Amino acid sequence: MDDYLVSVVSNIGIISFVALSAYLLLLTGEISFGQQAFFAIGAYAAGIATAMWGWPLPLAIAWGAAAGAACAVTLGIPTLRLRGLQFAIATLAFAEMVRILFELWRYQIDIDGEPVGPNGTDGFRNIRYVFDHNIEAFDFMMLIYAVLAVTLGSFMLLERSRLGVIFRMIGEDATLASLQGIAVARYKVFAAGIAGALAAVGGGLYAHLTTYVEPRTFDVMLGVHSLAYGLIGGLGTALGPLLGVVIDVGLLESVRLFAGYRMIIFGGLVALLLIVRPRGLLDERLVHGIGRLFRNAKSGTTRTGRGPP
Amino acid sequence: MIDFIQNTIDGVMIGASYGLLALGFTVIFGVMRRLNLSYGPTIMIGAYFGTVLYLHFGAGLLAVAAAVVVGAVISGIYVERLCFAPMKAGAGIASMVSSFAIWMQLEQAAVLVLPRHTYPFPPLVTGPALEIGPLLVRPDHLIMLTGALLLAAVVQLALYRTRFGLGLRAVIANPIAANLVGVDVGRLVVLAFAAASAIGGVAGFLVLAVDQQVTPMFGMWATLKGLIAMMIGGLGSIPGALLGGLLLGVVEVHSHWLFGPQVRDLFAYFVLFAFLVARPGGLLGRTIDVELSHRA
Amino acid sequence: MRTIVCTLVAIAALLAGYPQAAHGQVRAKAAVTCVSAGQVLEYDCTIKLANARSGEPLSGLTVSVGADMPSMPGMHNVRRVKATEQAEKGAYHVRLELEMHGDWAVHIDLRGAVRDRVVAMLRFEEAEVTDVKPSPSRRGH
Repeated sequence: MDDYLVSVVSNIGIISFVALSAYLLLLTGEISFGQQAFFAIGAYAAGIATAMWGWPLPLAIAWGAAAGAACAVTLGIPTLRLRGLQFAIATLAFAEMVRILFELWRYQIDIDGEPVGPNGTDGFRNIRYVFDHNIEAFDFMMLIYAVLAVTLGSFMLLERSRLGVIFRMIGEDATLASLQGIAVARYKVFAAGIAGALAAVGGGLYAHLTTYVEPRTFDVMLGVHSLAYGLIGGLGTALGPLLGVVIDVGLLESVRLFAGYRMIIFGGLVALLLIVRPRGLLDERLVHGIGRLFRNAKSGTTRTGRGPP
Repeated sequence: MIDFIQNTIDGVMIGASYGLLALGFTVIFGVMRRLNLSYGPTIMIGAYFGTVLYLHFGAGLLAVAAAVVVGAVISGIYVERLCFAPMKAGAGIASMVSSFAIWMQLEQAAVLVLPRHTYPFPPLVTGPALEIGPLLVRPDHLIMLTGALLLAAVVQLALYRTRFGLGLRAVIANPIAANLVGVDVGRLVVLAFAAASAIGGVAGFLVLAVDQQVTPMFGMWATLKGLIAMMIGGLGSIPGALLGGLLLGVVEVHSHWLFGPQVRDLFAYFVLFAFLVARPGGLLGRTIDVELSHRA
Repeated sequence: MRTIVCTLVAIAALLAGYPQAAHGQVRAKAAVTCVSAGQVLEYDCTIKLANARSGEPLSGLTVSVGADMPSMPGMHNVRRVKATEQAEKGAYHVRLELEMHGDWAVHIDLRGAVRDRVVAMLRFEEAEVTDVKPSPSRRGH
C-alpha cells in the first residue's frame, strides 16, 4: 500500500469512531451535535498521557476513553430531560464550550529542552509517540482497524442482545419503554457514556496519527458530519455509519475529477439519496429483509427437504 | 457606569440582528417543526449575489440590498423544494441532514464564484459616531436596530392582520387541523420559507453592511447565531426570538469587553446551555413538539 | 453489561500487546516558505530542515510532504509528494497542489537518518501564503 492510501484508510477508520458514537445515540432517539467534544477530550487526554507523562499508548487510549465517558455521563445527566432539538442544541453548546476551553488552556512542561503540551489556539504539537517507538504508518493503520473491528464486533453483539433491543425501544418511544418497566434515564446516560468513550478512542488514535491537534479541529463541522454519516449509510446496522464515512472520505477522496465541484455534487447526491431513502442506504427494512432471506433459506431447506442430496 | 451603559447599548444594536435571524428560524421551525441548517448559508448566497453586483457592476446600496434579499429567497426556496417538500412525515432528521448537505453545496458554490477568503461589502453610511452626552452611537448600528424593529413589527402585523398570517398561525398551532379547515399547507410552507429567507436577507444585509466585508463563513455564523438566539428566546415565539437575540447581543458585548473574544463565545454558549437545562422552553417559548426524532 | 466488560478487556488486551521499543531521536525543525506556482491552487514550497537542538542543517533525507485542513479533520487529504533536495544544505523543494484556499497543516515527513514529522501551519490564499496565527474569532467574520 502506498503512503497516500494508508493515510486515507487510516482517516476513514478514525472518523468511523465518531460516526459510530453519533449512531449509538441515534439508536436511543437522541440527536447529538456534540460528539466532537469527546473526540477532542480523548485526543487531548491520550496525547498528554504519552507525550507528557510518558505512558504507553494503550494505557493512554484507555485513559482517554475513560475521560470521554466520564465527561459524557456528566453531560448526560443534566440534559436527560431534553428532547429533540433542545438536546441537539445543548450538546452543541457543550461541545463549543469544550472547544473554547481548549483554546484557552495552556499546560506545558519542558521535555528535552522543548515545551510540550497543549498551547491554546496553537494546539498541541509534538505528540511523538509513533516516532519515538518507530511505529510505521501501516502498522498504526492496522492498530486503528483492530480497535475498530473489536468495536464493530461488540456493536453486532449489542444489536442482538437485550441491551440493544432496549436502546432501540427507547429510541422508538421512550414513554412506551418506561411503561414496560425500563429505567429509561439510566439506559440513556449509559448509552451517552459509551458513545463518549467511543468518540474519545477515535480522538486518542487521531492525536497519535497526526501527531498534533488543535482546538478548531473539533468544531461543529465534525459533529454534524458524523451525524450525517449514519443517515447516509443507514440506521439499520452499525455498518451504516461506516459506509457513510467510506462514501464521503474514501470515494470522493479518490475521485479527483470533481476537484472544485466536489461538495456541489456530493451535497446534491446526499439530498437526493435522503429523499429516496430517508433512513439511509442500509436502513432497518433492508437489514431485516436480508436477515429474513438468510433465515428463510435455512428453514426452507429443513422444512421441504430440498437442498443438496 | 458609562462603559456599562455604552456596552449595553452596543449589545442591543448587535442583538437586533441576531433577533432577526432568530425570527426567520422561528418562522421556518414553527411551520415545519424541522430544523433548516441551511438557513444561514442561503443568506450567505444572497450576500454573494449582492457582492457580485457591487464588485462587478458597481451597484448602489439599495440594489445590493435587493439582490441580497432576492438571492436569499431563491436559494431558500431551492432548499425547501429539495430538503423539505419531498420528505414524508416522520423524516424530520433526514430533512435536517439533507439541509446540512445542501449547506456544504452552497458554501462551495459561493467559493467557486468568489474564491478569495474575504470580499468588501458596501457600507451603510460613512461618518463619525453620534455623540449623545458621554455615549457614542454608530449611525449604522442605529439603522440596524431601526430596521430590525420595523421588520419585527411588519412580521407581527402580517401574522395577526392578514389571511396569510392566519393560515401560518393555524399551521404552527396544528398542521393537521389547518389542513382540515382548508389551509393549503404545502403552498403556505413555501411562502413561509420565502418570507423567512427574506427576513434573513434583510438581517444579513444589515450585518454585512455594518461589517463591510463578507466571507463564506457567514453562512455558518448566521445559522449558529440565529439558532442560539431562537433557543434562548423560546421555540415558536416571535417576541421571544427578538428578546433572545437582544439578550445574546448584550451578553456578548459585555463579556467581550470584560474578558475578550474567546470568553465572549464561551459565555454565549454557557448562557444557551444554562437556559436549555434550566428552562428548556426558553424565555417566552412553550414546549412544542419537535419533529426531529423519527417517531415524532 | 458483561458483553461490554468483555469488550473493554479485549480492547485493553489488544492494545497492551502492541510492540513498543523506545529510543531517543533527533528532532527536526523546519522553515517553510511557499509562493504561488502560477496555476491556481499550486504552490512552490521551499523547506529548510535543521536539527532542532543544534540548528545544524539536515541533508540527505527522504522528505515527503502532505497536507490536511485542521478545520475538517480527515476530509481533505493531499496526496503526499516527494521533495527534491536542493544544492543548499538542508533545503528541499516541493510543489503542492491543494484543493481549496484556507489554512492548511503541512506535514513534512522525514525518513532516513532522521525519522520525524514536522507540521507547519500555513494560510494559502490566491496571491500569497502566510504563517497562521489562529485567530480566536474566525467565525465572527
